Amino acid sequence: MSPWCEASLEHRLGEFHLQVELALDREVGVLFGPSGAGKSLTLRILAGLVNPRRGEIRLAGRELLRLPGGVNVPAHSRRIGLVHQHLALFPHLTVLENVAYGLHDSKRERRAREWLGRMRLEGLEARYPGQLSGGQQQRVALARALAPEPELLLLDEPFSALDSPLRRSLRRELKLLQRDTGVPVFYVTHHVEDLCALGQRVFFLREGRLAGSATPEQLWAPQSPASAWAALGWGTVITGVVEHRDGVARLKWADGALHLDSPAAVAGAATAFVAPQAVKVLYPDIPVDPDLAVNAMEGTVLERYQVGASCTLHVAAAGVNWHLEFPWHSYRDVELEEGAAVRISVLPRFVEVARAGDSGEGQS
Amino acid sequence: MIEALGISLKVLAVDVPLLLLAGTALGWLFARRRFPGREALLLIVQLPVALPPSVLGLYLLLLVGRVPVLRSLGLLFSFPGAALAALLPALPIMVQAARSGFLSVSPALEEAARTLGDPEWRVFRRVTLPLARRPLVAGLSLATARALGDFGVTLMVAGNIPGRTQTLPLYIYSRIEALEFGRANLAAALLVAVGVASLLLVKRMEGGRREPLV
Repeated sequence: MSPWCEASLEHRLGEFHLQVELALDREVGVLFGPSGAGKSLTLRILAGLVNPRRGEIRLAGRELLRLPGGVNVPAHSRRIGLVHQHLALFPHLTVLENVAYGLHDSKRERRAREWLGRMRLEGLEARYPGQLSGGQQQRVALARALAPEPELLLLDEPFSALDSPLRRSLRRELKLLQRDTGVPVFYVTHHVEDLCALGQRVFFLREGRLAGSATPEQLWAPQSPASAWAALGWGTVITGVVEHRDGVARLKWADGALHLDSPAAVAGAATAFVAPQAVKVLYPDIPVDPDLAVNAMEGTVLERYQVGASCTLHVAAAGVNWHLEFPWHSYRDVELEEGAAVRISVLPRFVEVARAGDSGEGQS
Repeated sequence: MIEALGISLKVLAVDVPLLLLAGTALGWLFARRRFPGREALLLIVQLPVALPPSVLGLYLLLLVGRVPVLRSLGLLFSFPGAALAALLPALPIMVQAARSGFLSVSPALEEAARTLGDPEWRVFRRVTLPLARRPLVAGLSLATARALGDFGVTLMVAGNIPGRTQTLPLYIYSRIEALEFGRANLAAALLVAVGVASLLLVKRMEGGRREPLV
């Protein structure tokens, strides 16, 4: 049986070249990758807001796009819901009117009220979006997108502006909603935590290409974490053990340890991810932020190259090959030639821990 | 004076709907579409506001007097000529207001409406237009005041014919020529009241919340 949603897309935007193939059943697929990888563009093409140069989209047995070939169902007939990064709630409409926006039958108000109840938004019907908290706005946006019963829901980092506890509770709600409605979801994020908590399938995007896809279990399987992440070729993955000592959580492995910022991290075998922007080079003669100092490591530059305005560095330190990315004009005073000795560090809050085989629920 | 007031109101009855339709359409076009010749068209539409009324009047006079098709319409020294003369310098005000009004509506909102099942015309009616309504009303108010107050262009194209093309501003001019200052003052006070009212409306539109108009 063919998947619920299949897409093969190619598009050029200036220098950027997007070429991805995606297949999704009635599950949550996470599009994961660094910013500028083409994640949002992929969603916009799926939604029908951008016309690609060529491509095919099939959803629930319907052909939505075939270019060249002349099939291009407009956005309003695709039955694909989209929650924009900045939510895009209609400021001139009340909460109830926002949620009812995509409903057109005689029961629209009743159905909108049902959704408000489901999203715990009762009593806010008459408010305007500007009068709601961040979390309430997110729930209105989700309700508005789900009320017309779309055949696919696209979420473009909708929780990115929220702090961690709220993110976690919204993620849980989203997961339950997905389970109840069965609507397949593409979720764009560059947070590993989201990926672990939500994803049933992960698509790695890098520079406009699909670098691989996996299930989260494969991703964190203790025997081969590196291979799944190698597909992405981005960031640093460390396998070790979470320990608590003197009220401080640390991730320990054979040749090193890192302080963590999550006191609730469950002790035991764990895999952690560090995004390349989170690893910092320390200047030799300048005092270091205490938070950075606890995780300082001595290392050696293995490789250094520049792509556009971004510099990539691979550093061997504490038995791990660290991946760093920074703007080309940073660290100009530091000796970073291949073979040079260098001190690096990472802020505890940027070490994202996922326990092996954990769906992420345990962290909330 | 009643006669001149009647002609002025007739001019507005023709021009206000035209300002609303043409100004809104052109403003939307310049805010949301890229097409060949866009910059040139924008320049032509905006030019009347930057030209002295006598220059605009001269060219309009040559255009409707010399071009055979336009000449046959009989616009010169007639009521339709007065309506056209008042329309042209007011249109750029409306276009500019509509354009900035539409530009202030985030395209993300229109995209959201599309993914919620609205075709283009319904996106415009349900999202773009309501959100741009305040600048549109403010623009229409100023453009109406400009059309009502036109003197130079009307004089050049339609003349100053009592009962046919003599609008309130031309009436004031004629009364002053006849040294009838009382009547001139009365008509002037009326125009001042309209001007103040339109500015108050603009202020209310600009200062208000984005939420519905009461």
